[in-house]
Amino acid sequence: MQLEIKNLTFAYNKKEANIVDNFNLEVKKGEVVALVGASGSGKSTVLRLTAGLEIPDSGKISIAGQTVAGDHKFRAAEKREVGMVFQDYALFPHLSVEKNIGFGIDHLSKSKRKARVKELLKLVNLEGFEKRYPHQLSGGQQQRIALARTLAPGPKLLLLDEPFSNLDAELKDKIRGELNQIIKEIGVTTILVSHDREDAEFMQAREIIMN
Amino acid sequence: MQLLKKLKKASPGWFLLTVGIIILLLIPNLNIIINLFGEAGENWEHVRNYLLVNYFQNSLILVLATGLLAAFLGAGLAWVIAAYNFPGRDFLSWGLILPLAIPPYIGAYVYQGMFSYTGPLQTFLRNKFQLRLSQQYFDFMNIRGAIFIYTIFLFPYVFLMTRAFLSKQSASLLESSRLLGKSDNTIFFKIILPLSRGAVVAGSSLVMMEVLNDYGVVKYFGISTFTTAIFKSWFGMGDLPTSVRLAVMAMLVIFVVLFIEKLLRGGRKYSYSTSNIRPVSRRKLEGSRKVLAQLFTYGVFFFGFLLPTVQLLYWSFLSRGGGLMETLHFAFTSFLTGGGAAVLILTGAVIIATTARMSSNFVSNLLARITILGYSIPGAVIAVGVLLFMLQLDGVLSFLQTGFGIEANVVLSSTLVMLIFAYAVRFMGIAFNSVNSGYEKIGESYFEASRTLGKGVTETFFKIDLPMLKPALMSGFLLVFIEIMKELPLTMILRPFNFDTLATKAFEYASDEMIYRAADLSLVLIFFSAAAIYLITHHRRRKK
Repeated sequence: MQLEIKNLTFAYNKKEANIVDNFNLEVKKGEVVALVGASGSGKSTVLRLTAGLEIPDSGKISIAGQTVAGDHKFRAAEKREVGMVFQDYALFPHLSVEKNIGFGIDHLSKSKRKARVKELLKLVNLEGFEKRYPHQLSGGQQQRIALARTLAPGPKLLLLDEPFSNLDAELKDKIRGELNQIIKEIGVTTILVSHDREDAEFMQAREIIMN
Repeated sequence: MQLLKKLKKASPGWFLLTVGIIILLLIPNLNIIINLFGEAGENWEHVRNYLLVNYFQNSLILVLATGLLAAFLGAGLAWVIAAYNFPGRDFLSWGLILPLAIPPYIGAYVYQGMFSYTGPLQTFLRNKFQLRLSQQYFDFMNIRGAIFIYTIFLFPYVFLMTRAFLSKQSASLLESSRLLGKSDNTIFFKIILPLSRGAVVAGSSLVMMEVLNDYGVVKYFGISTFTTAIFKSWFGMGDLPTSVRLAVMAMLVIFVVLFIEKLLRGGRKYSYSTSNIRPVSRRKLEGSRKVLAQLFTYGVFFFGFLLPTVQLLYWSFLSRGGGLMETLHFAFTSFLTGGGAAVLILTGAVIIATTARMSSNFVSNLLARITILGYSIPGAVIAVGVLLFMLQLDGVLSFLQTGFGIEANVVLSSTLVMLIFAYAVRFMGIAFNSVNSGYEKIGESYFEASRTLGKGVTETFFKIDLPMLKPALMSGFLLVFIEIMKELPLTMILRPFNFDTLATKAFEYASDEMIYRAADLSLVLIFFSAAAIYLITHHRRRKK
C-alpha cells in the first residue's frame, strides 16, 4: 500500500466535534482516489493530516510502508516526501517560475536542476516560461506551475486540494483533461479533494464519499 | 501527541528563543509588583498623606478629558474625510496624521512661547492695537492647556483607526440611510458613531495611554501626575521604593483605562452578511458646506501642525544656525540609537511573531498580550522596573567577577544597554503588531507549500517568510524608529551620563527657556517623524 490510514481522528479545537472521525483509507501504488464531500466534511483535513500539516489526535498514517504519524511518532511535513498542490497554488511571488519549480530540488547540482525544471515545464506544456513571475501568469498557468513544482522532487504521493475550484467552467474541462493525462503519464499515486462528483468521474478516480 | 499539537508546528529552537525574550520583557514589570511588598521608602508616608490624591486627580482628569475630546475630534475628522469630497481632501487624508510628528512636549513649549507676554501674539496686539489684556487670558500652563495640547497632537490615533474602519464599510449602508431620508448629521450620530465605536474607543485608549506616559508636557506646565511624581521621588529624593509604589498606582490607573475600554467596546462585533463590500463613494460638497468642511479640517491641520512648525521655523531662523554642529551631533546620536534599537526590537518581534504563527491560538494570543503590555504601561514605570532589574543583574555580575577573579568591572546599569533594553520592553508590541499583520496578510499556504517541498521551519523562514515580510518589516521599523526618536521619560531616567538625544536636549533647552536652541532640534525631530509618516502612508497606498 502506498498510503494506509487507520482510525484517524482529529479536531481543530477541543470544544468542537471531531472533523475527522475514525477515518480509514487504503490507496494502492499508482492509484487515483478522489475524496468527495460538502464543505466541512473533513476531506481537506485528511489531506492536511496526510501531508503532515496537522497533527492527529489519534490513529495512524503510513506512507509506502513507513509510519509517519501514530505510535507516538510524528514525521514533520518536510520529511514525508508528500507533494501537495494548494487550492490557491501558493506560488512564491518573489521567485521566478524557474526558482519556484527548483525550490524543492536545490540539493541537485545546478545543471541537473536546470534540466529537471526544463523537463517539468515540458510536461505541463509551459516551455520557455522559466523567467516569468507568478503574477504574470494566468490562473490555469499558475496551477500547472504549481503542479510542476510539486512533482519536481518526485513525491511518493500527490495531493490535490480542490484543483478546479478557482477555474471558470470552460477552462475547467480543458484542465481536467490535461491533469488526468499528466498524472497517468508519470503514474504518481494521487489523492484529490473535490466537492464535485463530476471531477472524480473525469479523472477516472476511485470515489470516496465523505459526509 | 497532545502537547505536540498544542505547540503545533513550532520548532524547539524558535520556541526557546521566544520564551527567553518573553521572560526578559516580563521581568521589569514583575519586579515592580514584587518590590511593592518590600519596605516603604522614607518619603512614602508624606506622599501618601498629602500628594497621592492630587496625582490621582490630575492624572484622571487629563486622561479622561483628552480621551473624550480626541475621540470626538478624531471620529468627526475621519467621517468628513471618508464621506466627502472637497478641495484639499486628498492631502488632508494624510496631512491630518502629521500632528503625530510633533511630540506633545514640543507642541507645549511652542504654544506657550506664542502666547506668552513676549510672544508674537501679545506683542502684535500690543504694538498694533495698544491692547494689554489680562495675562490670565493667555495662561496656557494649566490643566486646560495640557488637555488642549494632548488633544490637538494625539487625536490622529483616533482618526487613523476610525478612518481605517470606515473605509472597510459597505457603501450600501450609507446609501440606504440616505435613501431612507436621513440627513448626513443623523447618519453620523445614529449610524456611523455607534458602528465605529470599537475603533474610536481603541484609538482613544491609545491616546489615554500616551497621556499617562507623557512626562514633558506636565513637567513643563508644572502639573503633578504619576509620571512627574516618579521622576521626583527617584531623581529628586533618590527614593526608589517610593517610585516603585507610585509606579504600581499608575498601573492601577492603566487597568482602569483598559477596563473602561473593554466595557465600552462591549462584546459586540459587527460583521456583514454580504461579502460584497464596495468602498464608500464620497459625496462632493458645494457651497457653504464645502467651506465648513474645509474650515474644520484645515483648521485642525493648522493648529496641529502648520502653526507650530512655522513658529519653530521662525525661531530657528532667528537663531541663525547658531547651534548647527550641536544639532547635527544630536541628530546623529538619535539616528544611531533609534535605528540600532529599532533593528534589535524588530528582530525580537520577528522571532516572537514567527513562533506565535506556528503555535495554537491560545499560545499566540498570550504572546501578543505580553508583548503589548509594555506599550500600555507608562515609560516612567517601565524605567523603574528596568532599573531594578539591571541593579540586580549588576549584583550577579560583580559576584561572578569577584568569584572568578576577573577585574573587568562590567556594569549594565546607566549604560546604553539598559536604555535599549527599556525601549524593547516598551515598543516590542508595536513591532510585533506590524510583523504579525504582515504574516496575516501572507497567509499560511506559502509556509505550508515550502514545508511539503522538503524545507524545515528555519529554512522556510529565511527563503520564503522573510522576503515576503519586507513591507511589514519596513513599516514596523519606521514606527518603532519614530517612537524612539520622540521618546522622553525612559530616555531621561535611564540614559547614560552625558548622553542626549534630540528629544532630551530639545526638552532641556525648552525647560531652560532657550527656545531658539530648542527650535532647531525640534525641527529635525519633526522632519524625521513627518518623513516616516509620509513613507508609511504612501507605501501602503501604492500597494493598493
